[in-house]
Amino acid sequence: MPTLKFTGVLRLVAVIAIFMAGVWSQSTGVIEEFMFYLPDIQFLTVQHLWLTALSGGLAIVVAIPLGIVLSRPSMTRYAESAMQVLNVGTTIPTLAVLALSMSFLGIGTVPAVFGLFVATLLPITRNTYVGLKGVSPALKEAASGIGMSPFQRLVRVELPNALYVMFAGIRTALAINVGTVPLAFLIGAGGLGELIFTGIDLYDPVMMLSGAIPTTLLAVGVDVLVAFVAFIVVPRGVNPARA
Amino acid sequence: MKTLTTLLTGAALAATLSTAYAEEIVVGGKNFTEQQILANMTGQYLESLGYDVEERSGMGSAVLRQAQENGQIDLYWEYTGTSLINYNDVSERLSPEETYSRVKELDAKKGLVWLVPSAANNTYALAMRESDAQERGIASLSDLAQAVNDDKGLTFALNAEFYARDDGWRPLQKAYDFRVGRADVKRMDSGLVYQALRDGQVDVGLVFATDGRIPAFDFTVLKDDKGYFPAYALTPVVREESLKANPELEAQMNALSAELNDDTMASLNAQVDVERKSVEQVAEDFLKEHGLK
Repeated sequence: MPTLKFTGVLRLVAVIAIFMAGVWSQSTGVIEEFMFYLPDIQFLTVQHLWLTALSGGLAIVVAIPLGIVLSRPSMTRYAESAMQVLNVGTTIPTLAVLALSMSFLGIGTVPAVFGLFVATLLPITRNTYVGLKGVSPALKEAASGIGMSPFQRLVRVELPNALYVMFAGIRTALAINVGTVPLAFLIGAGGLGELIFTGIDLYDPVMMLSGAIPTTLLAVGVDVLVAFVAFIVVPRGVNPARA
Repeated sequence: MKTLTTLLTGAALAATLSTAYAEEIVVGGKNFTEQQILANMTGQYLESLGYDVEERSGMGSAVLRQAQENGQIDLYWEYTGTSLINYNDVSERLSPEETYSRVKELDAKKGLVWLVPSAANNTYALAMRESDAQERGIASLSDLAQAVNDDKGLTFALNAEFYARDDGWRPLQKAYDFRVGRADVKRMDSGLVYQALRDGQVDVGLVFATDGRIPAFDFTVLKDDKGYFPAYALTPVVREESLKANPELEAQMNALSAELNDDTMASLNAQVDVERKSVEQVAEDFLKEHGLK
């Protein structure tokens, strides 16, 4: 098994590299510099997650029903144009959305949450719609055939089958959301952007990284968390990850 | 075909050579209104004098200074106190004249020349809504420190740079002996501070003394009764090499510097921030009015 040996060597190299990085950071005192910002990082991380939770939570609550409604047969006439509108919305840069919401909501948490909400809403709605539309017609017909009402069909057949695609949308949207929150600093809502932008202003790489590294970790963390929830929630029979 | 290639190559070569020989001056600016006006005004002024100008504004102080030391920026308007405390780490309290001569001397070693200072002193200040300040009986920074220590629950808006500067937030709290909790300090873009203070989202805001929004929004500036802030005389700072390459530049920049004082700056800033005119327009009007364009 030459491949196995090879990964073993790689792993060893990685361990040595991490060890060397530790030695280097210890000797240069970078760690101490980072520790200086620790209270800031803690305070701002909480603020950051709060912004994500508020805007992301609102977006999920609004987007999923919206996606479901749009995917109903009676809405087919409007669904395409609605999707087009949402697609256009997705392409607007988040910074522009934040700037717009600042112009009519003032500054601080409210416009930031609203801006992030709009930016997060679109991918979730779209994936919900696409997921439900993608359920095989044969399944839907079978459900009607055994006498299910449209509502029963939605809850028992369509949603479980679309769940995996819907979760993919939530995952993407929330990861983007976490990565966008730093921009909220610019409209006075705090978050880890404070360290990033102050670090840029002051030409202080350590301060900048004190904001950038936690932001990255949060984005990855949120992504993994949602993936884990999806793994648990999506039923075994329709879950590609558990097939 | 071959001649065509030769022609094209020749043309391309000529183009690169001609740009290399054109004397280009890169004018820098920081990330708030006054600096955007100054950078743009300087750009228009020098262009009308026949220079080839590139304008780069919107940077934080430290970044801009770094760029000038590296030779990526030829000239920008700096404040004496900023250089004294932040770039040269001088902590003694000096008079405005001493401040100027000290930074002139220290920065000369780095190849940066301080020209004649203008009469504009754009110091940092903390401001409150006038009615609110009267109600609370706060007129000076000592009163403010007292109010903070009495736990009056005051909230602050500061810009990113001030929070971390050597003449900024932490030393200010030390000098006046007060401590504001992390949750009561909101940091934001310089321009947003005025809006946040006006709309009552915070009680105290960091302002620039020459900002036109202070009178327009009915703010009162708290007196720096312990003389914490240094002098911040607005002065053109140019790289020595650029001055050598352009012998007339010094006199030309001094002519512009002579036209600026506190009132002019406040009025220029107000035209942009309060009357919503464009930076370019305000700069152009000023130059024409003073016969500099």
